[in-house]
Amino acid sequence: MKRLRNPWGRPRFLVLVTGAYILWSLIPVALAVLFAFNDGRSRTTWQGFSTRWFTGETGSVLHDPALQGALRHTLFLGVVCVLVATPIGVALALGLQRWRGPGGGTINTVMLLPLVTPEIVMGVALLLLFLQVLPGIGLGSSAQAIGQVTFTISYVVVIVRGRLVSIGRDYEEAAADLGAPPHDQLIRVLLPLLAPAIIASAAVVFAISLDDFVVTQYLSGDASTTTVSMLLYSSARAAPTPALNALATIALLITLATLGLAYLVYRRFASGSDANAMAGLEV
Amino acid sequence: MQGEIRLEELTKRFGEVVAVDGIDLQMPGGEFFTMVGPSGCGKTTTLRMIAGFERPTSGRIVLDDVDVGQVPPHRRSVNTVFQSYALFPHLDVAGNVGFGLKYKRLTKEEQRRKVGEALSLVRLGDLAKRKPGQLSGGQQQRVALARALVLTPRVLLLDEPLGALDARLRKDLQVELKALQAELGITFVFVTHDQEEALTMSDRVAVMSGGRVEQAGTPREIYEEPATLFVADFLGVSNLIGARASADGETCVLRVGERTLLAAAGATDARGEVKAMIRPERIAVEPQGALGDNRVPGMVERAVYIGSAHELHVRLVGGDLLRATIRNDGSALAYEEGTPVTLYLPPDALRVLKP
Amino acid sequence: MGSRWTWRLLALPGVAWLTVFFLLAFYAVVAVAFGNQNTLSEPVPFWNPLDWNVGYMLATLENIWQGGPFLTVFVRTFVFVTLALSLSLLIGYPVAYFAARHAGRFRGLVLLLLILPFWINYLMRMLAWINLLSPDGLGTRALSSLGIERLFISADLLAAKGGWLEGQPFTVIMALTYGYLPYLILPLYASLDRIDQRQIEAARDLGASPASAFLRVTLPLSRPGILAGMVLIALPMFGDYYTPDLVSSSTKTSMIGNQIDQLTRQGSSKVVGASLTLLLAAVLLGLMFYYLRSTRRADDRAEA
Repeated sequence: MKRLRNPWGRPRFLVLVTGAYILWSLIPVALAVLFAFNDGRSRTTWQGFSTRWFTGETGSVLHDPALQGALRHTLFLGVVCVLVATPIGVALALGLQRWRGPGGGTINTVMLLPLVTPEIVMGVALLLLFLQVLPGIGLGSSAQAIGQVTFTISYVVVIVRGRLVSIGRDYEEAAADLGAPPHDQLIRVLLPLLAPAIIASAAVVFAISLDDFVVTQYLSGDASTTTVSMLLYSSARAAPTPALNALATIALLITLATLGLAYLVYRRFASGSDANAMAGLEV
Repeated sequence: MQGEIRLEELTKRFGEVVAVDGIDLQMPGGEFFTMVGPSGCGKTTTLRMIAGFERPTSGRIVLDDVDVGQVPPHRRSVNTVFQSYALFPHLDVAGNVGFGLKYKRLTKEEQRRKVGEALSLVRLGDLAKRKPGQLSGGQQQRVALARALVLTPRVLLLDEPLGALDARLRKDLQVELKALQAELGITFVFVTHDQEEALTMSDRVAVMSGGRVEQAGTPREIYEEPATLFVADFLGVSNLIGARASADGETCVLRVGERTLLAAAGATDARGEVKAMIRPERIAVEPQGALGDNRVPGMVERAVYIGSAHELHVRLVGGDLLRATIRNDGSALAYEEGTPVTLYLPPDALRVLKP
Repeated sequence: MGSRWTWRLLALPGVAWLTVFFLLAFYAVVAVAFGNQNTLSEPVPFWNPLDWNVGYMLATLENIWQGGPFLTVFVRTFVFVTLALSLSLLIGYPVAYFAARHAGRFRGLVLLLLILPFWINYLMRMLAWINLLSPDGLGTRALSSLGIERLFISADLLAAKGGWLEGQPFTVIMALTYGYLPYLILPLYASLDRIDQRQIEAARDLGASPASAFLRVTLPLSRPGILAGMVLIALPMFGDYYTPDLVSSSTKTSMIGNQIDQLTRQGSSKVVGASLTLLLAAVLLGLMFYYLRSTRRADDRAEA
């Protein structure tokens, strides 16, 4: 088997470009995280290591009401979004996948649209909806939550559907064959098999909600509805302290922790078991 | 006898495609009944209709004199062993086997006992706590069996359950399944594409093709007395010869080229262009020049060693190629390649098939 | 399995939600754009298509048609996006190619590092650059000492020393590239990964040189992935307003998103803002449906 040389010359070139890109991509953020631990007010000159911007007496995330409020509100929206979008999304995925007859294609398209709609279009649309059509709800936390749910449902559907397709219909038929009525087929067989995908999509929804900006900003009301993203946006060009970096770092850690946890849970439940059970088909 | 199934003009259409074309079959209770045929012949669709996973386009499915065509699968006393076994990955073996017992109104004790009985029936008693992913193919198949049998169905449906196993395991399980069926006395409806499997395991066989039943009968009937060309060819070597049939009193006389042969089996009242068939094991190979009725000369083109037998490919004068089997009794083969021979085709083994 | 209505019932909540909070919201944009404006500059939406007032929409179109400020912004947006897309492809393709075909045992690690930016808050990533490129930032200092600052000033790509964040198109384009590039790399990677190695080997076997095999086999086969990826990032890039706002707070670099944002959220005229939004959506509609169709085809292929 002759050794094939890659067409760009030597692999070195590719390694270089990739390495340079990864550095360019991640170092700025690493530096921003680093300066969250700066002992001093500068975000550009290193003055020593300190955690004052996280837990210090004044001006830290822990003690600054604006920063803390933003963090709390962000987490609140995240949890609400997960609790609402995940069940709706799972149900929609099941309904769509098993849809028989006309209409399924249209609903599928509508479901996919939020994924490709530019955020500003979504923002304007939702803004006008809550100002002109639903002034009873108006702008504020509820609107923000509703807006976030609206475009995260699609992520849940896509993830869960992918898993549904690979599960196939055999298990439900087997359950029915053994006497399980349709709702039991769902509860005793299908949902347990979908659990890993449901967990993964919940984590994705949480992460997306945490990092969302445009829709959240457009639907915000008073200062109490500020999120971390909004605070970053409004303060970035002012002369903020590293407390802003600290806030961003905390949010980043929460996101990564959530995803890491979900990944572990997913791995544990979706591991060998279903793959090997299907091995009945392979010799 | 419980567990009798009757299919009456059963049809299933998927859009334009007719998968099952108005078939009539009777599966007596307590028998091992097999549906066999090539892919796409409709056997699996028929099985799925009996199970309830597909609704018939028209026709009736009658189980013990009750029309169950519209009854959903979870309410039929019919259970299935799937080709992929479909064992629930999130439950252990005991959980899988006991799955359907929850709908039978038994106490936890009784459920546990039944699961234990079912597992010992398939000899998997000590694997109750394993998960399906930790079992071999053969073990998974047994769990699937136990899971279905624990519910004491009137009929057990098996959809090519041995397809995923290697040859050795298959042969062993064929014997086991047959013994199990005889012991339990319930009706087994078995689907396979393997004609050998069909012949060895079944009490009755239905050969299907293109959505229709070509022939139904005992293994002996369909092998030795095939009604159509398809059945003859599907179940083994058929050695088809083209001939012209005419009558000579009561016997059927076949003209093959310049030779005249007497045929005593099959459609002996057919006239004109027909096909005649004879099984390889019924042909007697004799030295060149042997005399007598129903003898044709030929040349051995190939001699294939099969282990238990020799298969001779003999080219007749008229151009037909016949395959004859000679049992291997340990002695050297008398007729090697290139040898001229005479083939004796006994009249009662020479079967006339209508074109 | 079960009647068709059992499953349809499950889909109901999702369908209802999307109908009200997505479809209806979109219709609100239409109703406002074709509506009127009261004395307080607040929109008065016209819900009945028969009542629609095309006045504001026509005015907006006229602005564009006659080379008014809206046209300038549209053109500038188009230029920025095109440049950012080209840069992204130029950098992203080799990286994706490396990850797909040459990463070897480091593939998992490389992918992890490539996916990481997805989960870092976009604004944090921009904040990082603001830190670096502020007048006393590490980046500004580095660029200055490397002589790049002088180079850019003489090439007219930078207005003044240390002024990277003051209305510089270059900075905006670079920020857009930085921001959206990770979203391009994954589809590129997926499509390059899907290419059967054996097809390339066959080309080599038939006598093609490495470069030729790349140009005539790999590149064409990865084209659907390239197109899909480009569309995937072009859509949000067109509507971006926060990137120019963050790295250059000047109207000299404002994109169509900024214009819409000013008109709607900042409230100067929601009606005109809605018209502009509709126009943007119309322009992007073609792109959106192309992407949907290509993903649907990929799904069908995967399911088959």
